[in-house]
Amino acid sequence: MARYILRRLLQFIPVFFGVTIIMFAMKNIVPGDPIKLIAGDKALTPEVELSLRVANHLVETDDQGNPILDDEGNPVPTPLWKQYGYYLDGLLHGDLGDSYSRKLSVTEIFANKFPYTAKLALVAIVIEAVVGIGAGLISAIKRYSFWDVLVTLVTSILVAIPAFWLGMLLQLFFGIILKNWTDGAVYLPISGAGGPASPFNDWVHYILPGITLAAVSTAYAARIMRSQLLEVMNQDYIRTAKAKGLSRRQIIYHHALKNALIPVVTYIGLDFGAMLSGAILTETVFNWPGIGYEIYRAITQRDWPIVMGGVTLIIVIVLIINLLVDISYAFLDPRIRYGAPKDEG
Amino acid sequence: MDEKQKFQAEKPSTENAKASKRTKGESLKGFKVARRSFLASSALAAGALSLSGCKKATNDSGEMGGTMNISISEPVSIDPYNLQESEGTQVGSQIFDSLTVYDFENQELDPAAAVSWEANSEATVFTFHLQPDARFHNGEPVTAKSFKRGWERLVNPNTNPDSPSVIGYHLAMVDGYADLEKGLGTELTGVTCPDDLTLVVKLSEPYADFPIVVSHPALAPVPEAALEDFATFFQAPIGNGPFKMKEGTKWESGQYIELVKNEDFYGEVPALDGVYFNIQKDIETAYREFQAGNLDIVHVPTAQLEAARQEYGTSEDGYTMTTGQEVLDGVQSSTYYLVVNNDDPVLKDRDLRIAISLAINRQNICDTVFKGTRVAADNIVPPGIIGYEEGAWHDSRYDPEEAENILNRKYPIDSTFSDGSPKRGSIGQIKLSSNIDGGHKEVMEVIMNDLKDVGIDVVLDQGEWASILNKYQTSDYQIGRLGWVSDYPIMDNFMYPLFYTGTGDNQSNYSNKEVDTLIERARKILDEDQRVAAFQQVNRIISEDMPVIPILFYKLDYVGSQRVEDVYIDPQMLIHLEQAMLTF
Repeated sequence: MARYILRRLLQFIPVFFGVTIIMFAMKNIVPGDPIKLIAGDKALTPEVELSLRVANHLVETDDQGNPILDDEGNPVPTPLWKQYGYYLDGLLHGDLGDSYSRKLSVTEIFANKFPYTAKLALVAIVIEAVVGIGAGLISAIKRYSFWDVLVTLVTSILVAIPAFWLGMLLQLFFGIILKNWTDGAVYLPISGAGGPASPFNDWVHYILPGITLAAVSTAYAARIMRSQLLEVMNQDYIRTAKAKGLSRRQIIYHHALKNALIPVVTYIGLDFGAMLSGAILTETVFNWPGIGYEIYRAITQRDWPIVMGGVTLIIVIVLIINLLVDISYAFLDPRIRYGAPKDEG
Repeated sequence: MDEKQKFQAEKPSTENAKASKRTKGESLKGFKVARRSFLASSALAAGALSLSGCKKATNDSGEMGGTMNISISEPVSIDPYNLQESEGTQVGSQIFDSLTVYDFENQELDPAAAVSWEANSEATVFTFHLQPDARFHNGEPVTAKSFKRGWERLVNPNTNPDSPSVIGYHLAMVDGYADLEKGLGTELTGVTCPDDLTLVVKLSEPYADFPIVVSHPALAPVPEAALEDFATFFQAPIGNGPFKMKEGTKWESGQYIELVKNEDFYGEVPALDGVYFNIQKDIETAYREFQAGNLDIVHVPTAQLEAARQEYGTSEDGYTMTTGQEVLDGVQSSTYYLVVNNDDPVLKDRDLRIAISLAINRQNICDTVFKGTRVAADNIVPPGIIGYEEGAWHDSRYDPEEAENILNRKYPIDSTFSDGSPKRGSIGQIKLSSNIDGGHKEVMEVIMNDLKDVGIDVVLDQGEWASILNKYQTSDYQIGRLGWVSDYPIMDNFMYPLFYTGTGDNQSNYSNKEVDTLIERARKILDEDQRVAAFQQVNRIISEDMPVIPILFYKLDYVGSQRVEDVYIDPQMLIHLEQAMLTF
């Protein structure tokens, strides 16, 4: 297993470099000069524009940090490979650079926002795992019953509803209608992650965005769980278990469930990675201070240090989660052994 | 002194102002406490039903009742270092107090951190006399050096070498600016401080409107702490204004900024105990928070405007919120216009530009696309700007017959569109560029149809703002869409940046020697009436060339909750909280 993990960790390196190189290529291909965008509608003075290009390693400088000019007096742009070198150098020193427009370091921006994204993702993934697997189980065990029909119906609806619309409905009902009905006695916060002006403790703010973020995935998880369990229940070894005289409960929990869980765990694991990358719509509707909206804003404003920093962070998270998911297979299915010689596997 | 023009306005004695305002605040506060106690006990009675386990214990009584909750979107900066757009300026102008302040209601420039000022006869040297006893929120005295420090901080690229300020241009006319901007030296040599309370500013060229330039919140003084730890000051600035950052808090990006009143403010101490700026990403969500009673001032989404007017009432003057008249719809001092590439082989024809302007039904755009939240522009200079004249751009009106008359003389009908309608093929196809968001697409479609009606073939070129702006800045466009929000409420802030030859914001590439000369001359005139008249003349000459095509003026779209009283929002969208109160 240790050898497998080491091999997977080594595989991170080419993936990481590949993605960052693609990002650098995009930076040059996508139209829009990030420096000119900094002042919004208004133009920068040529001196300020040059200072910004120097500060962000976009033009070549001499030893004193003064821009190098060509024969026509124009600053010489830094070649892309060199910009990439500056980026890697910063990264190895734990520095993701400074945002073009926010005047703060990218590390600081993400240090402020990532905890909110991570906590919300955790809430959503718990909802997804508990409700999704639970509903899928009930649906499969009580096949064609009222509960099965209910789960199928609800999951169909959830899959069809866009997250932002569900979020709005929840806000209207729990934030406004319920508050009016109960004369302000019972309601939930509409937006934000808490803070001093909120009458609620911060954790209450996670309820509605957590449900919204989890909704579609929960529906998928339930459906995958249902179909997998039904498929496993038709396997020979389940028939053998039945013949042995095991109870239905023992068959499901000791034999069927672990096998049926593998695709569900894969799905939930990948989904957790996606959630940790930020959720633009949920963050927008619930005014959540996460990284998704920050990266979206950075893309529209060509704030490349934030985009690059965000992508770097996301790559690392997704790679680690994928590795954890793969490792978890070994615990779910004893036949899966990583790193062992082929003849033993 | 005879040759000097002296501007001096008597300010009520600081002590008196403080005393009267405090009395007002205290009496109100007593009422609020009583009301709040009542609410607290009602909530307790309903305790069994409430999510009481989730609710925070409230602090002591009156304080929260005196805090106004205002929705803003994420600021770029709340530190004068980079104060540039409406949201950051909103917060920055509560924390900082600049030398002067423009009073839109009375159309006059009032003293703020300066009690008086004077200029020499050439309008090149300005002397500001500062408020005595003024202090920053950390107790440090506000002196002339604090202003010099603040201004040099903006211009010097080494203040934060990783992220230089982009708004040093406010001081472009100050002597020594060019060298400091290049990083040569550390001083803005044109600014001197003969004593703690006297600030002398020498300009490199005459500029009579300078006292209004220094009303910009970015030109506020900063304490020594601003130069010590950039990141800390940037997120929790220490100013000299009527409100200060709540102790131990900072700007929580994407969440909130919490201000409390500055009891030691030298001007009028606010009646409010504090302001809570709730940073919202989406105006629809902010409006739902408002409907739930959690926010006091928000933008109204266009689709909700009529319902909001009926429920909350519309302000009489469009700018002041009072109980029962909480929706503001006053015209803003910003213009939505079409920028025309005057170097384009087709559009360099002035008559064609005028015909295009006459063919556009601006009122139809206001009514259909913006549901009355904009007004048709009759001038590039919007109302609220000193010297605005109604209808000054005579050809910024809807007159399709006149447009056709002009076009028939040079570009007769010679072909047809695919639907058979007449077309002026000799003009060729004109590309109309715009960013796709913010309702611009719909506006451009209306304009395209209006132009088709007079036989002009238009094709839309739409994209993200980043790529479209790039086209404007490299003159790779024919007609585009832009908005202009002035930094100061003066005509010069439209005439010079948009129409003076070669400025960075003159994206129409308009160049008229006569206009350049008249702008230079107008900038030297110390007498305000004569200066305004000179700029009005410049404006008329430009309007005859129609280098850009004014389309709309923006309008305010704020609504206040029923507890908001006496909030004035000026045409530059700045919320004035000096008189603001909360009632129940």
